[in-house]
Amino acid sequence: MLLHLLNRSPASSRLIQDVLRAMGPEDRLLLIESGVYGAVPPQSAGFETLKGRCYALQEDLTSRGLAERQADWIIPVDMAGFVALTAETQRTVSWY
Amino acid sequence: MASEQGKLRYALVVLGGPYSQAATHSALRFGEALIAQGHRLETVFFYHDGVYNASRLAAPPQDEPHLVDAWVRLANDQGTELLVCVAAALRRGLLDEREAQRHGKPAFSVEPPFVLAGIGQLVEAGITHDRLVTFAP
Repeated sequence: MLLHLLNRSPASSRLIQDVLRAMGPEDRLLLIESGVYGAVPPQSAGFETLKGRCYALQEDLTSRGLAERQADWIIPVDMAGFVALTAETQRTVSWY
Repeated sequence: MASEQGKLRYALVVLGGPYSQAATHSALRFGEALIAQGHRLETVFFYHDGVYNASRLAAPPQDEPHLVDAWVRLANDQGTELLVCVAAALRRGLLDEREAQRHGKPAFSVEPPFVLAGIGQLVEAGITHDRLVTFAP
């Protein structure tokens, strides 16, 4: 099981298509930095197939004025949660 | 293998330059968080524009975080190895004393605890650490 990190907004990059294609059925996705724009509707629709395994970094949501605006099925995590995700998965893949 | 039950040895790769991309901030915050959880941050490898993190001449305004000093503190407090890709560094004017002499330059811009290293050491870090996390521009 892999953890994928995405730091690009879906509004500025089509990388999300590559990420979704590359992800295995158990893999998890964490949106960080400008990637958290993808956590907010309507952009979040692009990740709906990942319900239950799609996360967004809370402090990056907050620093962009997006706290509490993420889709209700996207799981917010703090930095400690980010570390925990890397510990729970075997490897981390960064997309940029 | 983890050294203690559940405690992991981490290596981070920083590809983004300080003060221009979020990568350095993210890597530092992540590093602090993993240490707080009892894991070990053993190695940070600076590559591409990430090598600018190693400039001993960085002089940011006093009311802004001093990112270079933050790495140095990590090295001093945690024994974290700070490896700087030598090929990426030389291209960008980041030379330690030895390289500056070798290339006939009037000054050097990299000093310990930052150490110029080959790409082989990044490969080795990927093999010898439990986790390797890349922070990209």
